[in-house]
Amino acid sequence: MNLFEKIFNYQIISRLEDSGTFMVTSHERGWLKTMLRHPAAAEAFSPETLQRLGVILSQDQPFDTSDSLLHKAASTEKHVYHALIRPLRRAIMNKSLVRLSYEIKGGRTYSEQEAFPYKLEYSMVKREWYLLWYHMRHRTMMSTKLHKIIEAREEPCTEEKYAALQEKALSLMEKRKQSVHILVVKQYNEELSRILYAFSCFEKVVCYDAESDEYTIRLSYSSNESEYVLSKTRFLGKRVCILDNSYMKNRMLESAAKALERYVE
Amino acid sequence: MAKESFDKEIQFLRMLVLTSGAYNRQQFADRLGISVHTFDKTIKRLKEIVSSVCQQLPEEQGKQFAETIRYSYLDSSDPMLLFLFRAKSLKESESQRISLLLAAMHGQSLSAMELLDACCASLPAELPLPDEKTIRTDLKYLEQVGVIKKEPGPRPFRYRIHNDLVKDLSHDELLDLYDFVDIMANTQIPSVQGYLLRDGLKKHFARNLAENDSIDPFLYKYHYYSRILDEANLFTLIDAIRNRRKVSFLYFSPKRATSYASKNTNPLFERETEGKQETVLPLKVIYDHQYGRWYLLGHHERYGIKKYRMEGLTQIEEDKAVPEELFAEVSTDLEQRMQYSWLVDTGRPVTVRIRFFHPGPGIASFVKERVLLQGQWGVVTEENEASFLFEIVVNGTIEIKPWIRSFGSSCEVLEPLKLRQEMITEWKEIKAYYESVRENI
Repeated sequence: MNLFEKIFNYQIISRLEDSGTFMVTSHERGWLKTMLRHPAAAEAFSPETLQRLGVILSQDQPFDTSDSLLHKAASTEKHVYHALIRPLRRAIMNKSLVRLSYEIKGGRTYSEQEAFPYKLEYSMVKREWYLLWYHMRHRTMMSTKLHKIIEAREEPCTEEKYAALQEKALSLMEKRKQSVHILVVKQYNEELSRILYAFSCFEKVVCYDAESDEYTIRLSYSSNESEYVLSKTRFLGKRVCILDNSYMKNRMLESAAKALERYVE
Repeated sequence: MAKESFDKEIQFLRMLVLTSGAYNRQQFADRLGISVHTFDKTIKRLKEIVSSVCQQLPEEQGKQFAETIRYSYLDSSDPMLLFLFRAKSLKESESQRISLLLAAMHGQSLSAMELLDACCASLPAELPLPDEKTIRTDLKYLEQVGVIKKEPGPRPFRYRIHNDLVKDLSHDELLDLYDFVDIMANTQIPSVQGYLLRDGLKKHFARNLAENDSIDPFLYKYHYYSRILDEANLFTLIDAIRNRRKVSFLYFSPKRATSYASKNTNPLFERETEGKQETVLPLKVIYDHQYGRWYLLGHHERYGIKKYRMEGLTQIEEDKAVPEELFAEVSTDLEQRMQYSWLVDTGRPVTVRIRFFHPGPGIASFVKERVLLQGQWGVVTEENEASFLFEIVVNGTIEIKPWIRSFGSSCEVLEPLKLRQEMITEWKEIKAYYESVRENI
């Protein structure tokens, strides 16, 4: 199979768009057929839809990569699809609010909280779905694991109110943004590619100072992600060094000092 | 015509994405081993593709291309780099013709002659008119890639577009399909075909929904954005593995400063080839979730098992097939040697024992949760209120070390002693970085 088929050519695609033509190749259908073998498919579709898809795709060949493609160092896949995705994504699409009942750490529950559902977020590290939402009464952005949600009930919302809430949620998300400058310690410049790969799951800008031959990475992340940024920084060890953001620097110092205490005989 | 290669574009985009605007034109060109002229030409071509497939692209003058294709969390379900797979070049007349044919077959089934008429009636005057043979060749190609279907019935054969996926599903079912495709493309591998399908469905929705601005309810965190670049070569390798065929390629170890050998015909730009010509029997392709990198593992006639980073493979060609027995033998050997590879290390197996510490009474045990989630085949052997023991056999300790270190002070390596010692040394060095930084404030 060649992924660079001429049928995927950008001029064809943009012309088909102009004429309103939907086109799908056997490559894409074969991929879909492969993915339908995943247990997530049974949760994502009703049995009737699955059956219909089976008929539509009956002539297509799935890809068999099981004996040639291996995954290494992946997190265990807890779930890929969750039953609440369907109602929540429809609430988001319908520009509705939801009444949420959910459990928090330690087993306490909250019920019937008025929520503006912002987006559904999947973390490749935790392998889990979250609902990002705005807590109308507390006026804060929340992130709740879907498996902690007991009930979500869609409720209508006026257009004006919805627009205002959307703006509010976006501005709160924006406010949570933080950044940190990370220096690639010069003697590890040879490992630059590996270091940049490790940070390539973040929004980042890289600066290169030709005179000193030094690279600095500016990572942008949300304040609730600082733990993950720290764990990535520790992951790379002495190859990188956090330059600013005193909270992050202190945390690194604390980690190193405490780790050393563990090793005192 | 020689087979069009996208090695240059792939290397180019990879460097652009990884270094996110760190280099100026000259520095960038130097590192890729191309001239500034080639740099400018490539960027011009890539920009043209991007702007034709992404209408929402900001058209500000002087906006850096690197910035345009940078990873952005809020657009994380829309992979910007997908446009690479739209880059196959095509003559203007051919792209016009094929789009016209598909649009004509959209609502009805037509014969080759009817399609020829439809084509001739709608092609812009400045383009040459196709003949019947050309139309038949196009139809054969479109049937082969599965875009159209031949209708049952006597000659002359009639063709229609193969769009049952959107035709036979209800609106609600299509929405479920879109979500499933979005989720699978963003969380599974391979994903390029899924992203292409997602793109088609998304445009279909945009045409048919009154309000389409909330079609994107999903965000994906911590996925490696550039991973799809290497899928360009994935299927060539998977096919070769399935057919027990060797492949040959020009290999550039990513550790070298230059990663791309220019194959310009203009002698002014001709350079020494710095890569290494290799021929191996491919056995496994490995995706490393720790860094988002791909590897090819194969068997080399002289050197046995060899490992290559996929990003260093260029000019891949299929070579001779080998007997099944040989493939089976080297394949089993590799599987045995890979059994304990944290990533791809096939060195000597060693038992690593680590004590992990719970965060404290009353705090959720996120350390153990993470160890169970990411610790591959390792097992928890003993546990008490304060800590637990984790044991794993791995080939060498180099690949697992960063993972252990990422836990910071939540763990202590017990065995092997050498690894324990290395951890102590590294934490001392890291501590020294931050102590000196603190003194500087």
